[in-house]
Amino acid sequence: MPEIKVTPLGAGQDVGRSCILVSIGGKNIMLDCGMHMGYNDDRRFPDFSYITQNGRLTEFLDCVIISHFHLDHCGALPYMSEMVGYDGPIYMTHPTKAICPILLEDFRKITVDKKGETNFFTSQMIKDCMKKVIPLNLHQTVQVDDELEIKAYYAGHVLGAAMVHIKVGSESVVYTGDYNMTPDRHLGAAWIDKCRPDILISESTYATTIRDSKRCRERDFLKKVHESIERGGKVLIPVFALGRAQELCILLETFWERMNLKAPIYFSTGLTEKANHYYKLFITWTNQKIRKTFVQRNMFEFKHIKAFDRSYADNPGPMVVFATPGMLHAGQSLQIFKKWAGNEKNMVIMPGYCVQGTIGHKILNGQRKLEMEGRATLDVKLQVEYMSFSAHADAKGIMQLIRMAEPRNMLLVHGEAVKMEFLKGKIEQEFSINCYMPANGETTTVTTNPSVPVDISLNLLKREMALGGTVCYGDGFLVSSEQALKELGLNEHQLRFTCRVQLQDPHSDPDTLHRIYTHLKSVLKGYTIQHLPDGTVMVESIVIKVSSSAEDPNTKVLLLSWSYQVTFLRC
Amino acid sequence: MEEDLDNILDDWFIESIKIYKDLHVYQLENPTQVLEWTSGRNVCVAGYTSSSKNEILELHLPLKLLADKNKGLCAERDFKVVHGGFADGPVRRLRHIPGTRCAVTNDGHSSSLQVWDLGGDDSDVIRRTGSVEGGRTGSVRGSRIAARPSSQPQVLHGAQSDDVRLTEITSGRTVYKLEVDSSDALSSLQFVTDSIVVAGCCKGSILVADIRSPAAPQVCCPPASSAESVLWWTDASASSSRLIRLSSCGQAVVSELRMLGGGAVCQAQLDIQMRGSDSEDVVVSWAPALDDCIAVSGFSGAVQIYNTSLWKSDLQETTPLFQHRGHMVSSQQPDGVLTTAHAWHPERPRTLLSAASDGSVHVWDWVNQSAAESGSADPPT
Repeated sequence: MPEIKVTPLGAGQDVGRSCILVSIGGKNIMLDCGMHMGYNDDRRFPDFSYITQNGRLTEFLDCVIISHFHLDHCGALPYMSEMVGYDGPIYMTHPTKAICPILLEDFRKITVDKKGETNFFTSQMIKDCMKKVIPLNLHQTVQVDDELEIKAYYAGHVLGAAMVHIKVGSESVVYTGDYNMTPDRHLGAAWIDKCRPDILISESTYATTIRDSKRCRERDFLKKVHESIERGGKVLIPVFALGRAQELCILLETFWERMNLKAPIYFSTGLTEKANHYYKLFITWTNQKIRKTFVQRNMFEFKHIKAFDRSYADNPGPMVVFATPGMLHAGQSLQIFKKWAGNEKNMVIMPGYCVQGTIGHKILNGQRKLEMEGRATLDVKLQVEYMSFSAHADAKGIMQLIRMAEPRNMLLVHGEAVKMEFLKGKIEQEFSINCYMPANGETTTVTTNPSVPVDISLNLLKREMALGGTVCYGDGFLVSSEQALKELGLNEHQLRFTCRVQLQDPHSDPDTLHRIYTHLKSVLKGYTIQHLPDGTVMVESIVIKVSSSAEDPNTKVLLLSWSYQVTFLRC
Repeated sequence: MEEDLDNILDDWFIESIKIYKDLHVYQLENPTQVLEWTSGRNVCVAGYTSSSKNEILELHLPLKLLADKNKGLCAERDFKVVHGGFADGPVRRLRHIPGTRCAVTNDGHSSSLQVWDLGGDDSDVIRRTGSVEGGRTGSVRGSRIAARPSSQPQVLHGAQSDDVRLTEITSGRTVYKLEVDSSDALSSLQFVTDSIVVAGCCKGSILVADIRSPAAPQVCCPPASSAESVLWWTDASASSSRLIRLSSCGQAVVSELRMLGGGAVCQAQLDIQMRGSDSEDVVVSWAPALDDCIAVSGFSGAVQIYNTSLWKSDLQETTPLFQHRGHMVSSQQPDGVLTTAHAWHPERPRTLLSAASDGSVHVWDWVNQSAAESGSADPPT
């Protein structure tokens, strides 16, 4: 039977990095190529030895697909393509292609320059890697070769995130990457059509959670900012790029207006430049409703939010500043942080994940004394707040996605089997499909039932239906006649032939019948002949009845009846 | 201004920044009438639809809520589904047996109980392990359930006052039966100590019994003002030895458990609308860690907190100390939503969970505004 094989690379219960291999219809596809952010050594890279023990990966992979720009999904891409070696196509959406190299370069700088590591990809490698990228548009089928085709769907989650549909012949797989089913303010919810893939592959990280509402996260953000401002403190919000930053700006602006607050809000110039650049990407990527909300108002024309100047950081009194970069690892946000860290009235709000080695990561781990350049120590007295705004699908979201796509099988990666038994049971019960949960490094084989399209002439079809043979039906499935009749809603018709034979016999009807029975039994040996209590004789399936003619009781009429399948008996 | 943000920054949202220390809002796939603690960190919810299979879920509270120091460094705001299972019918009541991983449920229209294993570390599945038969078949209201506080897994259950029994879960043996002649529908059943039980009847009378003694229970009549069609709900506080009775007209009466015959300690006319005949959703409860405070839900889409120490001996109107209006404000149909359950956190003085008919579940830690404003102390914790 044909089958699809899925292997999440990695080891044991390792979560935090996505890299999944799929073998479908003779093609091998790598889905995502993430870096594990918790390790400092080679364990952070996916284990490619599963594909080949040594040497390049090009001949073993037909393509690589990256779902979005988060480092746990694309962080190991330059390592894979330039250090291990892969020259084939790498697919990702346009925004992912634009943002990936920037994040990778930032990440490389932190890891190599700040942490002094050596076995890492270089800036040139990132550039060379990105040259292999073929960008995807939403809902556009792309032929990777003459058998393999892929299509990207909107996933929500972050700018440019996609779910991808992979098809070889009549077998298909959908990989979700990270997605969300409740609309985010600037991103909308994931959507896919009823494509009925053989397997739907999804992360299980949030599958067993019930998400707190966005409203409450925003409330907490405003509450924290307000509390700091009220006590005369300064609030630093390090941000990366468009989307989240803009959302938080709009939230603050509206809150300031509503509460009639006077404290100044600033955004750093670095942010504006980046924002304008991504703004253009954003327009083509978002849907009508979101475009209406964000495009109509000019990006950073706020009433209460002004452009920042370095000198403002020393101004007395409360203020809020949005500055880049997002992990406090360099640049303006770090400069401001150094000035404000010593005052406990101040606050820093980290709206996202920080990579190891950055100041952001350290303070989020509770470090209150930081070693800066030139052996200077910085006492961290300000309040540190970690807030997560990222949009993920939860237990309910997974069920909604399955309802949308109608897969024949479900596969969840990055979960512990014992912690997922309930969800597996729930999926299997509600949708009557199998739910697989491979451990990292383990291969799941899913048998598929692909259909083979068959053409048939109309005459043959008619004849086959009449004779009760196998029938081609619908999309080209060969089915039995009973199945076809059932699905077509037709009743089976039977054809029987009858003829009458007259003979002269003075006996009664039953006696005549009995004589015929006895005679037939003696001449037709080897055939099943029965004399039935209802007054008929059956030779195989031929039925014989006797009746008298109305005018003359000695004239008997034999009624013979047989179905079309019977070969004619000579007697 | 974008209409989306207008919705977000509605009055309640702005107000919530001041009136709640913490606020979490969740949406379950189906509404729950059950909010039962299985530990200080885990709570059970369950569906009550009549058709398909209903889920029983054990949820772990968000880490951010529980983090006391370093709260700012914790970004985790979600419920974690730690265990889950399926029940064949609706689950209207669920009781956790203290000291075990066992829970008992009732479907709200029969007297039998289902017994469940909530699961340990090796599995996340909640499994049905057996059942406990009730006294009578075909009862309409379904049985009330109370779990014996001691380590012996025993459960007190019954739908009518003449039908209350204490059953040993493992053997199914009846250990005690309440000896009462009259058959009144029950609205509550509780253990106030390991051997003293309190049964509250819908018509307002109270039965107090010692399960170690075969003697008949002490009976306390309904409050004098009670009328024929009025329904009553009850809660007894073990720590303060007080009993509260609340009627469908909004009258609340506080009595001393040890002196039930001695009349009410205090009473008040609460600020709620009258309820019709549907008594399934009304809950009144004493705060376990906030003296003299009670919470009331089920009359509307709000949960109200009252301070009974302000009540007098004669019936006067009173206003709530705090009102949680979150379910009404967040709902798609603000007038149609009703709170179905609430539960105080066993240790945190002002933390509550509440659930509503639209499937929402809220976790909130409210600020005592009046104390904050006047500078006076909270009711002692």
